[in-house]
Amino acid sequence: MKKTGHKLSAANLGLLFSLPALIYMMIFIGYPMIQNLILSLKNVDVYTFARPENQAFVGIDNYIALFSNANSVLPKAIINTVIFTVASIFFQFIIGFGLALLFNNKFPGCSFFRGVTMISWLLPVTVAGLLFKFMFQLNGGIINQFLTSLHILEEPIEWLLEGRTAMVAIVVANIWIGIPFNMMLILTGLTTISPEIYESAGLDGANKLQTLFMITIPMIKPAIMSVLTLGFVYTFKVFDLVWVMTKGGPVNATELVSTYAYRLSFEEFKFSEGAAAANVLFLILLVVGIFYIKTIDDNEVM
Amino acid sequence: MKKKLVSILLTVAMTAAMLVGCGQSAPEETESSDSAAPAVESTESAAPAATESAPAVSGDKKSVVIWDYFETDAQKAMMDTLINGFNESQDEFVASHVYVPFSDYEKQLTLGIASGELPDLVIMDGCGMASFIELGLMADISDADIAWDEYIAGPMDSTMMDGKHYGIPFATNCTALFYNKDLFDAAGIAYPDENTTWDDFEKMAIALTKDGVVGFGNAGVNTDEGTFQCLQWLYTAGGSYTNIGDGIDAYKLMQRMIEEGAWTKEAVNWTQSDVNNNFMAGNIAMQQNGPWQLPGIAANAPELNYGVTVLPKRDATSGQATSILGGENMGAVNKEDASGAKAFIKYYDQTEVMVEAMKQYGSFPPKTEAAKDSYWTEDPMQKNFIQQLETSIPRGPSPAWPSYSAAIQTGFQEVMTSAKTPEQAAVDTQAAVDAVK
Repeated sequence: MKKTGHKLSAANLGLLFSLPALIYMMIFIGYPMIQNLILSLKNVDVYTFARPENQAFVGIDNYIALFSNANSVLPKAIINTVIFTVASIFFQFIIGFGLALLFNNKFPGCSFFRGVTMISWLLPVTVAGLLFKFMFQLNGGIINQFLTSLHILEEPIEWLLEGRTAMVAIVVANIWIGIPFNMMLILTGLTTISPEIYESAGLDGANKLQTLFMITIPMIKPAIMSVLTLGFVYTFKVFDLVWVMTKGGPVNATELVSTYAYRLSFEEFKFSEGAAAANVLFLILLVVGIFYIKTIDDNEVM
Repeated sequence: MKKKLVSILLTVAMTAAMLVGCGQSAPEETESSDSAAPAVESTESAAPAATESAPAVSGDKKSVVIWDYFETDAQKAMMDTLINGFNESQDEFVASHVYVPFSDYEKQLTLGIASGELPDLVIMDGCGMASFIELGLMADISDADIAWDEYIAGPMDSTMMDGKHYGIPFATNCTALFYNKDLFDAAGIAYPDENTTWDDFEKMAIALTKDGVVGFGNAGVNTDEGTFQCLQWLYTAGGSYTNIGDGIDAYKLMQRMIEEGAWTKEAVNWTQSDVNNNFMAGNIAMQQNGPWQLPGIAANAPELNYGVTVLPKRDATSGQATSILGGENMGAVNKEDASGAKAFIKYYDQTEVMVEAMKQYGSFPPKTEAAKDSYWTEDPMQKNFIQQLETSIPRGPSPAWPSYSAAIQTGFQEVMTSAKTPEQAAVDTQAAVDAVK
């Protein structure tokens, strides 16, 4: 009798356990999100902020303005953000994967070097941003010094002064910061592969390349998926690094959606447009998140 | 053991890296950066921190909390003198102040409006005041007993809206031309003076550009700090912040001089501190900068043999170049009881208090009479700024100034990086300025 009673409540118990998390999410994530959505549908700016009676719902006007106004940088910011993210992830992942394979082997000093590579992840991003800003300086920056003294360059490159090279510079800085994150997650994935599988592959005569593509990568596919998705989300909303290095300049060449939303809200006091820009960022990430959850589900079914 | 060693090494490496980072990030003039660091924490919860720093708030005295973004030792000393003087001058209020970093200042004020955690009085950048009056931050104090008429018109305008007073100007300044005398002597050319025209200026800069030295540099960073310095050229050429086209000669001069290498292209990313650091290091022979840099140069580069004069004028027939007014305003915050703010403003309204404070600060008092103090008019450096002040105009004032500023600075950056021709940039920037409501 008692046993069935307990079993019945197990489902309810599960709900009960998830309740604190649910309440937490609703208060700290749900409420601001809904507020932000409401704000983005109003016309709150420097002129109406102090006069609630003049605030009105304007529907999706702010979104339309962001995409069609001549002064709006949002379309450019989205393209910049995509370039920034894809370029960052591509190199972060490849380098991180390579390092993970390296550190998965035991060699003298292995744990020391693995620890050292974490420095770039532990360093506050503003500090890293400042260091890279100095390194990329036109005169006296170590990168130009290095390249010119090795005669790779004839003339110093105006890294942060030209749109394209400024983008390269922030991508390089972001790659440097993100490599340890990729490395650690993949390394954790690698440790779950039992050595016996490699052993038997070896007995079957598989070479290194075959082992990598037929065993290692398929075995850690879930880890790779989460690295790529989390990396995408983290990179897509990077703010501090770019704010410190270029403030979105020169001429908006490195303006990201995050820096643009900040600029609208806190520099130009266009609170509603800023909220709308932030929501665009959120929507893009939501799509990525759903895609991630779906692939994880599919994997688990398999 | 091994792990311990690794972790110790890591910690050492990290701290070292962070120290290097901090050391380089802080402009040389702000030696007080270590004393500023603890104050940053207090911005999170401004109100409680403020009462902490107030010397013994006794029960019947009302507190007056002031926010400022002053960083240098001289500026901090000035605030202490002011606050001590105010506290001793009367028995009703006790004043204290909270440091909020400049880069976060307007954001903190905006958040403060939303959360209600606000000081009684703010000292803020003059051109931002109109926005915050419109945002409802400021209290109308037109009924206060202040000598409104004694103030210089430009700074006073920036504290007003629709004929109402929301505060008084705190300090006023403008940028002028600094020149390195040794580099001029080495090149064998005469120093610039009030008769120097744009043509002379360009020739000087070209002649000075050699051996790793660039003739001229200013701040062109993609923020209002850049607008503050660049806008001057547009006005001197005949334009204004709503009329870009008539100032196109400024665009042409900038682009040409940068292409010639006589105006450093790094200006695009330079703040005013960067400009001054490079001037002190002898990397640029002339800089555009303000009087608040004088104490820093005296402290960090006492050997530097330099002079100051007004900015170059358009041509021989035109008048003195326009400069842009900088400086701070003091605004009363819109609270139930603004009496404390009014009392402090009234205290600062006294000419002698103002003059003493501005001597410490390295800026000019915003009262016409006060600025005539011999401390400024007889100083070989300072008097040039006083002269430049005569033809200085405020930014805006407009509640939408930040949007104008962003549009205008984008134009300057397009010109400085040669992303667009001066003609194209003028057309596009005019369109962007017109689009600001």
